[in-house]
Amino acid sequence: MKHAALVLLLVTAIAVPLGAQSDVAARLAGRVPPEVARAVAEIAAGVAARGLPVEPLVQKAVEGGAKGVPSDRVIAAVRALAARLDEAAGALRSAGLSNPDADLVDGTAYALSQGLSAAQVRDLARAIHAPYDAATTLRVAATLSGLGVPPKQTVQLVEGVLQAGGTPDDVLDLPSEVEAGMAHGASAAQAAQGLGHDDTHGRPPTWVPPGHAKKHKP
Amino acid sequence: MSMSKTYHPLVKGLLDGERSLADLPPELRAEAEEAERLLGAVDRTPVSLSPALDARVMAAVRRRAASPVRRAWRRLVEPREFELRLRIRPWIAWGGALAVAAATALVVLGRPSVIPAGGPTPTRVAARDSIYVRFVLYAPGAKRVAVAGTFNQWDQNAAPLVPAGTSGIWTTTLALPVGQHQYAFVVDGQRWVADPGAPAVDDGFGRRNSVVAVTAHAGRAL
Repeated sequence: MKHAALVLLLVTAIAVPLGAQSDVAARLAGRVPPEVARAVAEIAAGVAARGLPVEPLVQKAVEGGAKGVPSDRVIAAVRALAARLDEAAGALRSAGLSNPDADLVDGTAYALSQGLSAAQVRDLARAIHAPYDAATTLRVAATLSGLGVPPKQTVQLVEGVLQAGGTPDDVLDLPSEVEAGMAHGASAAQAAQGLGHDDTHGRPPTWVPPGHAKKHKP
Repeated sequence: MSMSKTYHPLVKGLLDGERSLADLPPELRAEAEEAERLLGAVDRTPVSLSPALDARVMAAVRRRAASPVRRAWRRLVEPREFELRLRIRPWIAWGGALAVAAATALVVLGRPSVIPAGGPTPTRVAARDSIYVRFVLYAPGAKRVAVAGTFNQWDQNAAPLVPAGTSGIWTTTLALPVGQHQYAFVVDGQRWVADPGAPAVDDGFGRRNSVVAVTAHAGRAL
């Protein structure tokens, strides 16, 4: 009886990564070169064995294949993403989320890819609460950082909106507000500076468009 | 019998009693006569319903409602609350868990290798609100423009844009789930172009993906 149980456990432990590997290879067939499909399937098997989602890896490979990116570059990007998924799961565990869903791990990995540190992601994950969707909020932070807002400022900005009781749409709108400010010539940091405090549409209160003289007090 | 024949408006006027056969031009008279002949063939005898019909219908409804087969079916499909108390030995629980794990492993290993492609996971789409988002690109001289992104598995054939005349403006409207999505335009099937009207982030391949935020109230480029 004891031996049978051990065999069953062993079969399960081997079956999950093997299943993920064949599944990924089948999904990538015809969409990426064969060598990319093989490499991604191997990477995915390792990721699945660690209980992490493989869907982001498949999507990244599909994206690279669709864009005609060279094979070695696609494989490198997928490998880097796999490492970030590991790091993301670790950051979420340290934030007290021992069993995060696939979307949250993916969103966290995206935040890490755009320059946020594991500690910043952990702090942000701790600050997110209902009604905010954690994965979406982390993706917003990632986009802000990707736009050029310094990571530390990004975390402060998002946390500020959460603490002020902004709506989930307010969080989703943050990058558009920054983008609006940047369209007027502000840097990303300048555009993010006034957000969450007033209705300056991404422009800090002291900021003036290029070519316009600042008002001087008499 | 086909009912797809369309009569000339003047003939229709004749059938509606708005004009007489003599009012019609000679070339329409044959058509009008045919229409009148068909109309005349219709049985216009007033229909009278049996006074007992109402009672018969209601009796049938009651019979069906009281049918033991239907009651049994309802018991099977209608949700209800159950309280289940089990008293089992631990080794039985462990054995059952292992059996389930083994069955799962067999299913995973035995899964067919063909996976349907295209589109996001249906449950995920169904679980969230979808909002219509309009994509616009100014691409004069382009023969073909499409939008590909995380919402359609980067399939450049899934969402083609339509040219607005000869203005060079291409547009399409897509229903996207609430949240953030990355995308790019594909011009003439080869050139991947970030949306100049939206922010863009590094795509991991040394290029830029545009980002759109779809909120519960409206879809917009970030």
